[in-house]
Amino acid sequence: MMDNKSWLKPREDAGVATAVDGVVVLDGPDGVAVTMTADAAAKTANSLHAAADEARRHAGAGPGAADGIGAGP
Amino acid sequence: MQTKSVLLNRTTSLSDAERGRLEAAIASVRTFRAGETAVRQDTQVQVSLLLVEGFMTRHVDARDGKRHLVAVHVPGDFVDLHAFTLKQLDHDVGALTDVSVAVFTHDALEKILIDDAALARRLWFITMLDAAQHRQWIYRLSSLTALQRVAHFFCETHARLLAVGRSRGHGFSLPMTQSDIGEVCSLTNVHVNRVLRDLREMGLCQVRSSQVQILDLAGLVKAGLFEPGYLYLNAHVAAQAVGHIGESHDG
Repeated sequence: MMDNKSWLKPREDAGVATAVDGVVVLDGPDGVAVTMTADAAAKTANSLHAAADEARRHAGAGPGAADGIGAGP
Repeated sequence: MQTKSVLLNRTTSLSDAERGRLEAAIASVRTFRAGETAVRQDTQVQVSLLLVEGFMTRHVDARDGKRHLVAVHVPGDFVDLHAFTLKQLDHDVGALTDVSVAVFTHDALEKILIDDAALARRLWFITMLDAAQHRQWIYRLSSLTALQRVAHFFCETHARLLAVGRSRGHGFSLPMTQSDIGEVCSLTNVHVNRVLRDLREMGLCQVRSSQVQILDLAGLVKAGLFEPGYLYLNAHVAAQAVGHIGESHDG
């Protein structure tokens, strides 16, 4: 049963952003459906880029690196 | 007969005697104009309303000033049967179109509860149907994409209208603005507009002048991940609702 709980796992598919009538519409992944101004969308994009970079560093550092528990020197 | 659409084409139904008894319990028939509030949140109520003609909504006015539609009602629905036990509602009930409603006093419903256990069970079933739909609305908003949400809502409304003979199987009246659909699906006008265009370009349905024309029901059902089990329709209408049987003979 646990294997079927895909909603507990991070999504591997990306959301799709589209410009419509002067705003940005973000669809997915999963239940995401948001309309943002261009400025809000750009800030969200920057925040997502920064968070993605940091998440990759966590992954590269191995288990526990994010909170410092069990991380290597 | 005001009660003719109650529990029509569901997995449980009213016997002729039960329908007659329910009909006899009606205190009056009232009308509300489109946009009028029939029941206000936090107000003590001593009656429950059965929607006979038109569309009504339940809506919550949130602290952020936004109105959120949390239910859409079609003929045959008791719009506030839960007020019989709760005595006041945590939401408003409003008329989306001009409507007529049958009014039941809670004293009359109490008498049914005491005197007719089978009919009381049918009324309980109706409130359980409400709960099932609310669960599905939570699922729709939490798990579906914008296009899936709108397609799912259209399929649901189509199925409910099929059950009460208000859809011909290839289209139905939906007197809602894009803003209303947006409130149901938690989407902005822009987003709804784009989804409606996508649904049209995909050849699934088109919306024009408050009419939803279904071009490909099976495709719409698939796009909305719609499964009608939670509506407890009888087998025939459930099959119709997903496009497995052709057009309905009624209305």
